[in-house]
Amino acid sequence: MKKLVLASLALGLMSGAALAETIKIGVVGPFSGPAALQGRNFQAGIDAWLAMNGSTVAGHDIEIVYRDLPAADPAQSAALTQDLVVGEGVHYLAGYYYTPDAMAAAPILEEANVPMVIFNAATSAIVNASPYVVRTSFTTWQTSTPMATVARERGIDKVITVVTDYGPGVDSENAFVAGFTGAGGNIVESIRMPMNTNDFSPIMQRVKDSGAEAVFAFLPAGPATLGFMQAYVENGLKDAGVTLLAPGDLTQEPDLAALGDNALGVLTTFHYAVSHDSPENQAFVAAASKAIGNPADLSFPAVGAFDGMYVISKMIEATGGNQDAKAAVEAVKGLAWTSPRGPVSINPENRHLTQNIYLREVAKVDGHYINQEIQTFENQGDPGWKAP
Amino acid sequence: MTGFPVSAATTPNLWQRSARADAIAVLVVAATALVLFLLFPQSLALLTRIVAIMLLVLSLDLVTGYSGVATLGHATVFGAGAYAAGILAARFGVADPLLMLAIGALAGALAGGVSSLVILRGHGLGQLVLSIAIVQLAHEMANKFSSWTGGSDGLSGIMPSPLFGLFRFDLWGRTGYWLAVALLIIVFLVLRAVVRSPFGMLCRGIKQDPVRVRAMGAPVYFTLVKMYAIAGAVAGLGGALSAISTKVVGLDSLSFSLSAEALVMLVLGGTGKIFGAMLGTIVFVWFEDIVSAINPFHWLTIVGVLLVVVVLFAPKGLVGAIESVVSRMRGRKT
Amino acid sequence: MQTILSIGADALAYGMVLFVISIGLSLTMGLMKVVNLAHGAFAMIGGYIASYLTQQMGLHFGFAMLAAVLGTVLIAIPLERLLYRRIYGAPELTQVLMTIGITFAIIGIANFLMGPTLKTIALPPELQGPVDIGFRTIAAHKLFAAAVGIVVAGALWFLIERTPFVVRLRASVDDAAMAGALGVRTRMVYAVSFAVAIGLAALGGVVGAQLLPIEPYYALRYMVTFLVVVSVGGAGSIPGALIACLLLGAVETTGRYLMPEFGEFFFYLAVIAIVCIFPNGLLGRAK
Repeated sequence: MKKLVLASLALGLMSGAALAETIKIGVVGPFSGPAALQGRNFQAGIDAWLAMNGSTVAGHDIEIVYRDLPAADPAQSAALTQDLVVGEGVHYLAGYYYTPDAMAAAPILEEANVPMVIFNAATSAIVNASPYVVRTSFTTWQTSTPMATVARERGIDKVITVVTDYGPGVDSENAFVAGFTGAGGNIVESIRMPMNTNDFSPIMQRVKDSGAEAVFAFLPAGPATLGFMQAYVENGLKDAGVTLLAPGDLTQEPDLAALGDNALGVLTTFHYAVSHDSPENQAFVAAASKAIGNPADLSFPAVGAFDGMYVISKMIEATGGNQDAKAAVEAVKGLAWTSPRGPVSINPENRHLTQNIYLREVAKVDGHYINQEIQTFENQGDPGWKAP
Repeated sequence: MTGFPVSAATTPNLWQRSARADAIAVLVVAATALVLFLLFPQSLALLTRIVAIMLLVLSLDLVTGYSGVATLGHATVFGAGAYAAGILAARFGVADPLLMLAIGALAGALAGGVSSLVILRGHGLGQLVLSIAIVQLAHEMANKFSSWTGGSDGLSGIMPSPLFGLFRFDLWGRTGYWLAVALLIIVFLVLRAVVRSPFGMLCRGIKQDPVRVRAMGAPVYFTLVKMYAIAGAVAGLGGALSAISTKVVGLDSLSFSLSAEALVMLVLGGTGKIFGAMLGTIVFVWFEDIVSAINPFHWLTIVGVLLVVVVLFAPKGLVGAIESVVSRMRGRKT
Repeated sequence: MQTILSIGADALAYGMVLFVISIGLSLTMGLMKVVNLAHGAFAMIGGYIASYLTQQMGLHFGFAMLAAVLGTVLIAIPLERLLYRRIYGAPELTQVLMTIGITFAIIGIANFLMGPTLKTIALPPELQGPVDIGFRTIAAHKLFAAAVGIVVAGALWFLIERTPFVVRLRASVDDAAMAGALGVRTRMVYAVSFAVAIGLAALGGVVGAQLLPIEPYYALRYMVTFLVVVSVGGAGSIPGALIACLLLGAVETTGRYLMPEFGEFFFYLAVIAIVCIFPNGLLGRAK
């Protein structure tokens, strides 16, 4: 509970607009623990935005208050969120890496009169939990669905799906299967792997035996991806020409160096690649790299945070710094802008981002592994969202 | 049960003395709760969460501290309570908080009784591993039955109705906090009575020497199953309290890491002491909170060092250390 | 048939990797009676050293493996003198608290020094790529891990059965004062046993890094797996640990192949069944 006294990290430069009230933004994310890298990417995205746009919006200084939530832990998330709202008096809530953490924060938004901008949590249903939730990341449905088109375009008929057996994995499987069978493809088998699978060899054996031409895989970014890619190559699937298709979580940039040559040629669909070629992205990557220290650590949560800061700044402008969650959220419905990831807009219906999804191929450029964008699916909504 | 250490409750004089001790202890707990309420009115959700975990640690103390059963899977009973209460509210629309607590306690007791049938078959390391296997199985089951539990996305949509129809579970978390404090005091009194009862004494006897207790004709296995069910009810209450105040139940409430953390808190505070369980929880959660706020990147190192320091300088836990300081001071006076 | 052989090969390879990593823990828990939950943390340190030497310094894998074992032992010796020595013979829960504390601290330091990302160990060309074993191909590094496992098992068997060392260790554990009076240098015996166990942990960390990748939370992530393997085999028994690893490897691999969605259930139900039938592990000594 001492946290409230000690934790505030005031980032505001004490210049200008001294009379206006400071706007506080509470950010909840994994700044320690196994997903600390993703939390640092939140921070890098926020710092990049502040460095590029200054820490004053509409005459109000902005102050960021960070709270650490190392793992998916809804009870702690609710406690931290409540503490941010009633203790720190934050005007905006932001961050949230895991779905249950966002779900636990949502019920208090209306009573607190605080909008929440989600930087990552990717389950479609979160936006239904409260009308004050806006999301600037992606959903698993959104990034997985275009892969079905990719597979069909490449003349693939028979696919086996292999996903980690938990919420996002199941979402990913459903999205791909719906898209692929809808386009006339044939799913020969669907495998769900337990969360803590270390040896993927038996799974690959199964893939081999299924006679599929391609394997669609979902694994959360992290240590398991290494063993998975290795087993894919070592069991001869790569040499046998079984194409590996996956949403971009499997090949997030910080993991690419460890995955090495095994990952070369893997096809993934995702909303953002650090290597995306646009002036907006170059400026963003320069600022975010500086913020995170090591440019190789930069990954997709940073862009979610960067765009989230943009959305919050628009909310502040629209409400003139007054605490009015309803007006703030109304103001950004339909908002369209050019993000580092490309053109994006907020769907007024579900307050989730409509954005391009890119097909990328892992390539080695100048000695570095990158996700090279080779095809664009423009203006993709969230196919997994259902009206409540 | 004749021939066994006579319970304190049998002689009126001692009984009076222990009743007075109970009253003082309850006053201390209530006063602490009031002071915390006044000092940290904005952190009531965190304090409520601490009480919920405290109930889990108290429950663990019953089986580990008082009965000598080693377990690294005690979150099973906590999670059972949380999910039972949560499913009742989210899927069946039964949102009365007291009913949710009752169901949580019942589910915890059931889960405790049933899982103990397996856990008690092992000893030492085997017992630890059985308890781990059970919590992992429970975790996997909650993940599998996601249409009931929400799986890894968490069980949301829990909307507890106002307590007694009067007090809403609001933004400030006052209702949740006082409900938690009331629960804690009731559990505290019940546990004091349980550990002093002949049944509690029997459990301690089993911890010290199960062979001798068995030789005296007391049913060791059944007694421990009973203790496990009582402990399960306590932890189940904690789980239900967490579901009511958080409004979301996650898979973390059925995890090995929560079980391991609970054990760390218990050993930190001191096993076999009710105050030990309570103090250990407060110190661990509070310490983690401060340190992670000062420096989220290094808090794990600092918490690790704290645990090592406690083992080196307070091997009987914090309450053990306090007791020895107090008795040394008393010894000097007389 | 093809499939059965294939699964068998995978199971054998996975089981041997488990064996190399957890046998050190079996010795600590069975012979020294210390519940060392930090075992995985030492395996991780070994992995980090080997990764650093092969990737940053470009040294050969064989040399890196040796250096990882020695380096980890060097790091562990002061810890043994300052911390572990205090908990020999202490209640199990005290040991759990101390070693979890050590694990937390090592994770925090590893995170700070090496960063949160995955680290890999560069393999020499001989250990890369698949090897044809007749009915299928299998990764060369898995065969290497299996070979290391066999060598380790043989060496330990020799140490335990053919030298008086373990007799001295058991004497020191059971009654340090008496053993000391009989001329056993108990402190030295403890230190050497601890060093051997830690060296094995580091070796396992390096050899198993292809299946269990090195990152800061390695130390906690696989703690349960190690504990399960040791208790199923019976703490302190080398053939027990070997059988347990092969058995659990087979259960896990077959489960993953036949019904991956219920893989975890098979594994833990098997563990419960075995521990209920053999409370001291498959080949553990009764207390």
